[in-house]
Amino acid sequence: MNISIEKKIFSEAVHIVARFAERKSATLPALSAVLIVAGDDGIKMRATNLETGIDFKLPGQCVSEGVVALPAATLQQLASSFTGEGKVSIEHVGDTALLVSGSARSTLKTVPYEDFPTIPLPDHQNKTFVVSGAVLRTLFSQLASCASISTVRPELASIFLSLEGGVLTAVATDSFRLAEKKVPLSNKGAQGAILVPAKNAAEIAQALPDEEIIVRFDEHQCAFESASAVLVTRLTNASYPDYRQIIPSESVAEATVLRKDFETALKRTTVFSDSFQKVRLSFSSEKKQLAFYAYNADIGESLETITARIDGGDLEISFNHRYLSAALPLTTAENLVLSAAGIGRPLVIRGAGDASLLYLVSPMNQ
Amino acid sequence: MDTSNSRELWEHMLTQVELSISPANFNTWFRDSFIVKIEDGVIFIGVPSQFFKDWFLKKFHPLLLKIAREISYEIRNIEYLVVKDERRKLAREQKPSRGALELPLNEFYINKGDNLNPRYTFDTFVIGSFNSLAYAASQATITRPGITYNPLFVYGDTGRGKTHLIQAIGNQFKKQYPGRKAFYLTSEKFAVDYTDAMQAGTGNRFKDKYRQYDLLIMDDVQFLSKKERTQEELFHLFNALYDTNKQIIFSSDRPPVAIADIAERLKGRLASGMTVDIGEPDTESRMAIIQKKASLNGVILSQEVIEYVATTISSSIRELEGLVNSIVCSAQVKGSAPDIAEVRQLLRSFTRPQKTISVKNVVDKVAEYYGINESSIYEKTRRREVVRPRQVIMYILREDFRVSYPTIGSKLGDRDHTTVIHSCEKIKREIDVDTELAKEIRNIRALLA
Repeated sequence: MNISIEKKIFSEAVHIVARFAERKSATLPALSAVLIVAGDDGIKMRATNLETGIDFKLPGQCVSEGVVALPAATLQQLASSFTGEGKVSIEHVGDTALLVSGSARSTLKTVPYEDFPTIPLPDHQNKTFVVSGAVLRTLFSQLASCASISTVRPELASIFLSLEGGVLTAVATDSFRLAEKKVPLSNKGAQGAILVPAKNAAEIAQALPDEEIIVRFDEHQCAFESASAVLVTRLTNASYPDYRQIIPSESVAEATVLRKDFETALKRTTVFSDSFQKVRLSFSSEKKQLAFYAYNADIGESLETITARIDGGDLEISFNHRYLSAALPLTTAENLVLSAAGIGRPLVIRGAGDASLLYLVSPMNQ
Repeated sequence: MDTSNSRELWEHMLTQVELSISPANFNTWFRDSFIVKIEDGVIFIGVPSQFFKDWFLKKFHPLLLKIAREISYEIRNIEYLVVKDERRKLAREQKPSRGALELPLNEFYINKGDNLNPRYTFDTFVIGSFNSLAYAASQATITRPGITYNPLFVYGDTGRGKTHLIQAIGNQFKKQYPGRKAFYLTSEKFAVDYTDAMQAGTGNRFKDKYRQYDLLIMDDVQFLSKKERTQEELFHLFNALYDTNKQIIFSSDRPPVAIADIAERLKGRLASGMTVDIGEPDTESRMAIIQKKASLNGVILSQEVIEYVATTISSSIRELEGLVNSIVCSAQVKGSAPDIAEVRQLLRSFTRPQKTISVKNVVDKVAEYYGINESSIYEKTRRREVVRPRQVIMYILREDFRVSYPTIGSKLGDRDHTTVIHSCEKIKREIDVDTELAKEIRNIRALLA
């Protein structure tokens, strides 16, 4: 094999693809490698850790065809050192590959490529939908952090994507809080629901281009196809709880606050929170205030009020502050609406005028 | 070698595999795999994902088959299944207590294959005089599905436990006849599915999908009214299932004859089996429901509290459950069962304003709001500025305070009850289009509250 690629393109491709290689060294060496394929349909780079996989097409000149697997970590280090214009060429000789860029010549030991697994691409009969890569990327990167870290319940360590009536609904929960985002789709036909492991979703988010992406899925596998790349992930094979049933339909106290106020007050109060990270919110309808209170025996205490429109009655309810602040990056709305359904019941946070977000936080014991 | 013991067989096979491939390969590919079952000489091997399935088929299939054949000639083939994550689940790890209450997600797992919610079972179903007939019919249906009562049509007002009953039938059916397929859906889902299938041109697949079930449960069929094409499809589906003695169960908020805009032939078929209604639960039943629901959540309520709750909410079991949930929740937070005073406090936010209010009071407030003389309301005048407030009064008395039409008429200057009906309807219609009127009524309601 002998190929020649623009340095910049090569670096970017390696940067994207190498992420998908296995990082643990104990496994099959081929899994920690990037497979470079030069063939009839151009130059491709592939990597997989058996959870996710990528097949990346890159423009370049193909002098002679062939396949070579190179260690991902080494490639990554090399690629990040490339600067300036020019080309890099890779030539496969015996069990080494020769990388030439400018006046630098490096010989890399190759990894046996026979062990490199096939990346299971879904066939064309599967269910599909089209969504912009930029939208999907924000969706995945925002929601992945809301999913459970523990793998005891694999479905909660996943992002739930459901398609119905031309709307893509993405949900993630770790059973202490829940985030739901809705995105309208251009094609209305597709229906179905899948569970993308949150860890995989976060990885895929980093490699998604801005352009339109075709998402294909079947029972076990999901693929994200763009002009330049195909990304695949296994799906969690479990059923997702019917989370809609825990969303309170009524509210006892509802506060509408400026996001800015909420953010700063919360940030300040957090300093005084105890080891449970507890912050108490008090809705006061008479004074039209929302108060933040935290007490820590070692540090001290803090009480801060912000003006708010309060509908309903008075209520005091405590939360883990991390779960409250996690709602902020999920919406860009200027005003937040906090509706409490009562003591011991979850609080719903929405962005005023932003129907796409629903965020649910479970309270703490009083 | 005993091939019926799949675990032993797999371990034996693995030792052989280990000799033939590199340790790295072995560790990567075989660590998480196991034999799911052996059926008719076919070994089903469970693997974690499609990556594994493809690679096993490509690389290890001949090797595994050879090893298996050496063990026993009975083995004809090996197949690979991507197994559910639950099967590989680790032992439950102890959750670090972070002081936060968990969202009650565990209650809401729905089986995707049949849409049935496992929470709805007969164990949690309270039987009283109001639903004993429906219960008996459903038991008979389970004993001889497809024969005794086909279709079974359950109707009753919202929140009476229709969905619980029909889902419980589905869950019981699954338990009793493990090989057969049950499926639950709402008529609305059926309609959406049908239109989608038509758009995608997969009408035949749609037909096949629903004809495969041994028990089909369709909730809220009244929503099919005016959806003619969907009704026709349901008609054909009904015939197909009925002719093969498959059980069909429907629910609705009204009897088949009362469902508007539904084809006669379908109506006839809906009513052709057994039609049972679930009435309003009596006080004793409501008390039993509250007790059961609370004890399921591990809270024992005093008799006094149960009685109070049962008399506060009269018709809807759903509302009743919501109430009990909030009592349970506060009990969990506080650590003890609430007493009657606390419950009363708790329920205040829950119950609708059921105030008794004098007609005169309403008239005064409305007249004051519109700035007219209250006596003119009772007079036989038809001045525009009086007519509108008078209609609003009638509407509010009817909607908010449930005063009967004739009473409203006689209290407001001896008017005929049809006049009152007309006025209420008129306001009801206009409220949707006239935002000014809607706002006025909101303000008046605030004044009366």
